[in-house]
Amino acid sequence: MNAPLLQVEALTAQFTSRGQISQVVKGIAFEIDSGQSVGFVGESGCGKSVTARAVMRLAPESSSVQVGGSIRFDGTDLLTLQESAMREIRGRRIAMVFQDPMTSLNPVMTIGAQVDDMIGKHMALSRKNTRQRTVELLDLVGIRDPARRANDYPHQFSGGMRQRVLIAMAVSCEPDLLIADEPTTALDVTVQAQILRLLQRLRRELGMALMLITHDFGVIAGMVERVYVMYDGEIVESGGVDELFANPQHSYTRALLDAVPRIESAGRKS
Amino acid sequence: MSESSSARITLTSEQETAAAPAAAPASGPTKRRRRRSGGRGLLILGLVMLTVMTVVTVCGSWIAPYDPTKTSAESLSGPSSAHWLGTDSIGRDVLSRLIIGGRTTLLIALIAVALAVAAGLLLGLLSGYLGGVVDQIVMRALDVVFAFPVFLLAIAVVAALGPTVPNLILTIAIVYTPIMARVVRGPVLSVKRLDHVEAARSIGIREVTIVRRHVLPMVISPVLVETSLTLSHTIFTVTALSFLGLGPPPPDPNWGGMLSEARQFMEIAPLTVIGPAAAIVFATLTFIVLANGLREMLDVAGRS
Amino acid sequence: MRRVALVRLAWAVPILLGVSLVAFVLMRALPGDFAQAMAGTAAGVTPEFLDSIRADLGLNQPLWQQYFTWLGHALQGDLGTSFVTKRPVTGELFSRLLVTAELTLIAAVMAMLIGVTTGLVSARLRGRADWIIRGFNGLVVAVPNFVVATLIVLLAGLYLPSLGIFNYTPFATDPLANIGSMLLPALSLGLGVSVTISENTRAAVLEVSSQDYVMVAQAKGLRKRTILRNYLVKNALTPVITVTGLQVAALLGGSILIETIFTIPGMGQFLFDSVTSRDYPVVQGVVLITATVVVLVNVLVDIAYARVDARVSYE
Repeated sequence: MNAPLLQVEALTAQFTSRGQISQVVKGIAFEIDSGQSVGFVGESGCGKSVTARAVMRLAPESSSVQVGGSIRFDGTDLLTLQESAMREIRGRRIAMVFQDPMTSLNPVMTIGAQVDDMIGKHMALSRKNTRQRTVELLDLVGIRDPARRANDYPHQFSGGMRQRVLIAMAVSCEPDLLIADEPTTALDVTVQAQILRLLQRLRRELGMALMLITHDFGVIAGMVERVYVMYDGEIVESGGVDELFANPQHSYTRALLDAVPRIESAGRKS
Repeated sequence: MSESSSARITLTSEQETAAAPAAAPASGPTKRRRRRSGGRGLLILGLVMLTVMTVVTVCGSWIAPYDPTKTSAESLSGPSSAHWLGTDSIGRDVLSRLIIGGRTTLLIALIAVALAVAAGLLLGLLSGYLGGVVDQIVMRALDVVFAFPVFLLAIAVVAALGPTVPNLILTIAIVYTPIMARVVRGPVLSVKRLDHVEAARSIGIREVTIVRRHVLPMVISPVLVETSLTLSHTIFTVTALSFLGLGPPPPDPNWGGMLSEARQFMEIAPLTVIGPAAAIVFATLTFIVLANGLREMLDVAGRS
Repeated sequence: MRRVALVRLAWAVPILLGVSLVAFVLMRALPGDFAQAMAGTAAGVTPEFLDSIRADLGLNQPLWQQYFTWLGHALQGDLGTSFVTKRPVTGELFSRLLVTAELTLIAAVMAMLIGVTTGLVSARLRGRADWIIRGFNGLVVAVPNFVVATLIVLLAGLYLPSLGIFNYTPFATDPLANIGSMLLPALSLGLGVSVTISENTRAAVLEVSSQDYVMVAQAKGLRKRTILRNYLVKNALTPVITVTGLQVAALLGGSILIETIFTIPGMGQFLFDSVTSRDYPVVQGVVLITATVVVLVNVLVDIAYARVDARVSYE
């Protein structure tokens, strides 16, 4: 096959907060092919979320982040792009689903408006067509009565529904790569399965590559083809998901696998 | 009033301070340490300013170069070696008038606020601790008082009673008691529910002891901050009242009155305006700086 | 949410009743009696004469009776007749109320414009701009509004003597000149309040900036200007507006001083004169109206805040 969709080399990230420098990502390399789904596993603080945000060049307001290395997306090094060019890529070619659905939506805008403004930014559609597409997307992710619900505010939705809305937003412009940063961590167990199934379905229908980030190995199973295990800013092990489950090399990987509760009866944890 | 909003925004009223905490997004202990050191600086500054004011006021009679009521022929003269800040329209020395004028203003403010704190403490403790119907009635009564702009009440009472120093003190004490009561009530309510207070009560320790040992320490910090803040407002109220002619009667000089009299000829002798203005600002600033310093040092939450 | 609104309004009623009681008692319970004040020390003043004045004005009735009579009339819009001018209080107050309302409104608008702008700049630019603005705020807040007014008049007199905008022009005569003459007074009144608004805007914007949904907006690829408008300002503005509403009491109180300095014929000036001449109906009317406005605005603010809070707080 041709060059990978996303090729990351020697990626480093350091935070400078009030004179204190901390190295959060210490030189990692990975690849994601077109349409491939890849998982990043590790405990909180290992740098996986920072890596995801580095790919989209998102920085929190409060502290400054310095990113080094190269992030080649479809041939272009994202780290050397102008901000305006990066804005074209964000949402349109790389999209992200965040962890906490309760705080990821603007409380004073209707959810329809929030999906609209994304479509409006990247696709030149009339207002009517934009809203039509929004409603179709909401329907696609399983929101009932989407046309009416589009005029509701986030606080009128449950956590699971909000996450569906966020997923709808993320796939609205049919990105090549979808990054999901702990998409189910803040949800109830029963809802988790639904959301994961939704992600899987959308990935297949839209042919997106998926970068799934989680601390829970149980979430990875059945979702991805390849796994990268991160610890303290480095990638300690990587491989196909089946081999990793069967034959974990690194002690940390083994520890993570052991942490997944297994049901004694047949069948695996979803 | 909206108590729920106190956590999100700092609600303030009237001539309020810049009360928003510095937005330093560091975690727990670091943030507190940073606030402490900033607070210490402010506190020291405030105390220095307060000392300066106190010394000048107390030693006023010895420091002031002239008798503040003595008129002379050199009216509206600019700054000179004889009169550092010039003279007013009937030849009185501005500097001396400022020094002596501060005395009455500060005296009224201090006594009035002391009374307000005492009354407010009592009211707040009773209301908060007894709770139930008593609390509801007191709170509604306070709500009624809060509906009146402070200055409106002050004018009405002082103009009707007559502008003497005791009346001024009384008026201001009355007008600021409610806010003290409310500030006291908050911590009382939260302390009441604490486990170790319940435990103490169940063992049979007397209510008074409980109040003294558990409730009062919690209350002291916010009361200190509020007292300083109220002192700054009181300076405003006293000087404003004297500006309108409702202040301490002549021939005692006072800052508000000086400002008002100076308006007539201020273009010729701007110092007659700038002098009292600067004095008022300095006094107000002293207590605001103190309040902010205390607040940061004692880690008191924003006012509700 | 409608229930919250009703509850708030319901509480307003006893508070307003309390307000009316205080307004009434304030004048009557204090020493100094109108008949005496009006008659003065003229020669032919006998006790019978004073009594006849009192009887005329209903001042010899028991206090509680006077209160209810007055309250009854007040609820129908009749605030009695001024002892001094002999004209209906409601009419006298109405025109003055409009003037004070105009002054207060312009002051509030100015305070918001200045406050929101400086707060926004302070929060977004940080660094030196932040220090300058916060330092300025810290200083301004220590300057009482009447001192600001006097200094403004001084500065204008010294450097812009040709500006004859201190003379109040009634709205009916010349609307433009009227607003022009209100600008400096409104500025003096609103400056102190703008500091509060500035600090609250700054805090709100800083808090909102670190919210997840702002980062999500960035991840959507939206332009900075769009994010600023729909995500930052929209969220930061709602607490700011409620804070402004709560400053109404401060503005109304301060208007008394400003009106005196700039000789604007508003309620404040009227109040001052009437208190000294013991014109009970006028004083009661002014106090009642002012406090009522404050209570109503606070209720509206509480309701508005509850509505926003529903959207913003977690279930």
